[in-house]
Amino acid sequence: MIKKSTFLLVALSSVFSFSQTSHVDLPNVSDVAVTMPVSHPQHSTSVTVVRGPYLQSGTPTSVVVKWRTDIATESVVHYGKSLKSLSKKASSNNVTTEHEVALSGLSPNTKYYFNIGNKAGVLSESVSGEMYIITAPKAGTKQFVRAWILGDAGTANNNQRNVRDAYYDYVDAAPKNSGKTDMMLFLGDNAYGSGTDEQYQNALFDIYDDMLKKSVAWSCLGNHDGKSADSATQSGPYYDIFTFPTAAQAGGIASGTEAYYSFDYANIHFIILDSHHTSREVGGAMYNWTKADIQNTKQDWIVTLFHHPVYTKGSHDSDTEDRLIEMRQNFMPMMEANGVDLILNGHSHSYERSYFLNGHYGFANTFNPDDISKGGHTVGSNGYGDGKVDSNGAYQKANTAAEGAVYITTGSAGKISGGDLNHQAMSVSLNQLGSCVMEVEDDGRGGQNLTVKFIRDNDGIDDYFTINKSAWVLNTDRNASGQKSAGLLYDADKDLVRLDVDKNDKLKKVKFYNNIGKLVKKSRRKTINVGKLPKGLYVIEVITNQKAYTESITIE
Amino acid sequence: MLSLSMPLLAHGDLSMRIAEKTIAISEDPDNSELYYERGLLYQQHMEYDNALEDYLKSQSMGNSNKALYYQIAEVHFLTKAYQEALQSINSYLELDSMDLSAKKLQAQIHFNLKSYKKSLEGYRTVILNMKDIRPEDVLEYCNIILAENNKNYKAALKAIEYGLDQLGPHTISLQLKKLDYLKDAGLTEKALEQYNYFILEYSRNEFWYFKKAKYLVEIHKPHEAFISLKMATVAVEQLDTKFKNMGPVIELKEQIKSLESSLNNQKS
Ligand SMILES: [Fe+2]
Repeated sequence: MIKKSTFLLVALSSVFSFSQTSHVDLPNVSDVAVTMPVSHPQHSTSVTVVRGPYLQSGTPTSVVVKWRTDIATESVVHYGKSLKSLSKKASSNNVTTEHEVALSGLSPNTKYYFNIGNKAGVLSESVSGEMYIITAPKAGTKQFVRAWILGDAGTANNNQRNVRDAYYDYVDAAPKNSGKTDMMLFLGDNAYGSGTDEQYQNALFDIYDDMLKKSVAWSCLGNHDGKSADSATQSGPYYDIFTFPTAAQAGGIASGTEAYYSFDYANIHFIILDSHHTSREVGGAMYNWTKADIQNTKQDWIVTLFHHPVYTKGSHDSDTEDRLIEMRQNFMPMMEANGVDLILNGHSHSYERSYFLNGHYGFANTFNPDDISKGGHTVGSNGYGDGKVDSNGAYQKANTAAEGAVYITTGSAGKISGGDLNHQAMSVSLNQLGSCVMEVEDDGRGGQNLTVKFIRDNDGIDDYFTINKSAWVLNTDRNASGQKSAGLLYDADKDLVRLDVDKNDKLKKVKFYNNIGKLVKKSRRKTINVGKLPKGLYVIEVITNQKAYTESITIE
Repeated sequence: MLSLSMPLLAHGDLSMRIAEKTIAISEDPDNSELYYERGLLYQQHMEYDNALEDYLKSQSMGNSNKALYYQIAEVHFLTKAYQEALQSINSYLELDSMDLSAKKLQAQIHFNLKSYKKSLEGYRTVILNMKDIRPEDVLEYCNIILAENNKNYKAALKAIEYGLDQLGPHTISLQLKKLDYLKDAGLTEKALEQYNYFILEYSRNEFWYFKKAKYLVEIHKPHEAFISLKMATVAVEQLDTKFKNMGPVIELKEQIKSLESSLNNQKS
């Protein structure tokens, strides 16, 4: 209703004076007219952006821009590839204080500057070009990626600011890709004590304002966010503030809920789980989704994040607390078997980072540092090493094995809370403030390194490690098109398939079955025209007077 | 305070907050709200007996807040004392009959008391009125439908369709459940269509070809099963090496082989 009347009002106001339009007998119009800054320029200055803009649900071709104004008004985003010419516009005539505008039809891996406002004009912009969207690369792209990882950040005090500033210093001074942060990954407990809207304002928006305007933020739910958020109804500040893909808009498989979801960025698949509210049972909806999702990805790297740590002896104990034990025992066997590389958790307010692990699902005292081939829990000749390129060497993920993952409990972006910090599976345990940065880049030999650094509040880098995947692991044939079995020749240009039938055999029947097993073509000849068959995988059943066998082909 | 918190550290900050609340109670013993608050902490720490004790104490001190009724019901529910749970949630709903969370808990209690009709009725209200339902809710609703009448796949499938409509047509946990129901209901054609849906929808389909083959064997369609197994084999061959070396895929290859040989044995 409001949408309609607003539109009408705008049309009228170009003809009539403002006072006349407010007398038009339409529902809601008088409400709208008061905040309509169109013919009353002084009103536009009275509308203030009090939150954001911030970026959500980034994909190669779309992004969601959100912000809040103190007074309800329309939503307008101007954007473009050149800061001087923000020629494109996305808008909503809905009058609201909670603005959410989706930009679509964007090009992948492309920088768009933008500003936000209402119909009267711009309400927030960056003249120096510090407000922009860089769209995600297409899934599968190998390129430099940097993610800023923040666990349990939400104290809204100087600890949090110092940790933030240390990262800003780091990224500004980075020798390569300086100033570039592709995404922010929040590990939950983003706003203490209970994730209320006001606490989110203080601990998230006021603190990370600069970064939120140019980097897409993703998050999983923490227990302190969970106090005011209700995952059962996906309501409350956490679910209002964040907009996550429920229908696989950013890749992966549709979960149908914002509580757990996945997305692709470059050649990395991210899986975000809710370890707080949602059932962690094997066979539960979240487990089934995770399994289907992880078994459907073809990405080179798999990273997962959830709040409750798989391993910790910090301010929480992964040997005694149910959520931690359940995530470890229920989810990790399945996720490790399907190739997860990096697990990011928070909750304990410390930094604890594991060796290169596989199969350690018991208590801390059952950890066996031997290689998995000897019944232990580490992977590779240096899996029990520090993972540093300049020391024990990078952890190596070979293509002959899916095993090997590093677990990080990094929940000290806002405060530290000590603990025994002696979990046997951890290579490093520090009671220090800091955040992590993950960087994926070329290893110079055609493969890639995934490096994570722990950046202290005092700018020091107190830990780092690297997982390497060699060129051979990454060098994959993504395009199955044209693949075929040995017993036939395929001339794609002429759309001809020629069967290589045994000399002594007499061909009797050839049957083509399409990708859902439907019989779509019959023949009695060795050379068959497949020009009319749609692209895709076919199984060909060949029957001769001697035998029956099958061939296969992927038609281009 | 330091000596108190040291041994508790291992149990995390919750234990510390309980200890702090206990001190607050000792300083203000007539404050019923404090008992309620400590009960919440106990409940979070899964000390349900202590939680209940605090809630009841708070209630006996005159706390008649509806939230207290809810917590008492929830703790009883978690400790499987369903009659007591029902009593308390009914008291809550007398104060606020429209609260959907309470309605849902009531339906769950009815379910555990095997009052399936009542449970179904209540849960239906929840499903149809809750603003943002989750896949879990739809699955629970279906479960109640089938508990009430274990042949009523028609209603369960209808509920799944409602969920897909609300949550998005590809919501995987609902699509998986739909497959189960179609199979259980003996709707073989529809079940095969559902397998094809997964095969067409997903970028990796080796697992789906195999599952479909297994089902085709079950419904005595060996030739179609044979073709689907071939598809599975080809799909595995086309995977990148790193996926071929993953445990679940290695296991799948073995399963394909064994099903293939049992099919061949049937033929001869
Ligand atoms: Fe936490």
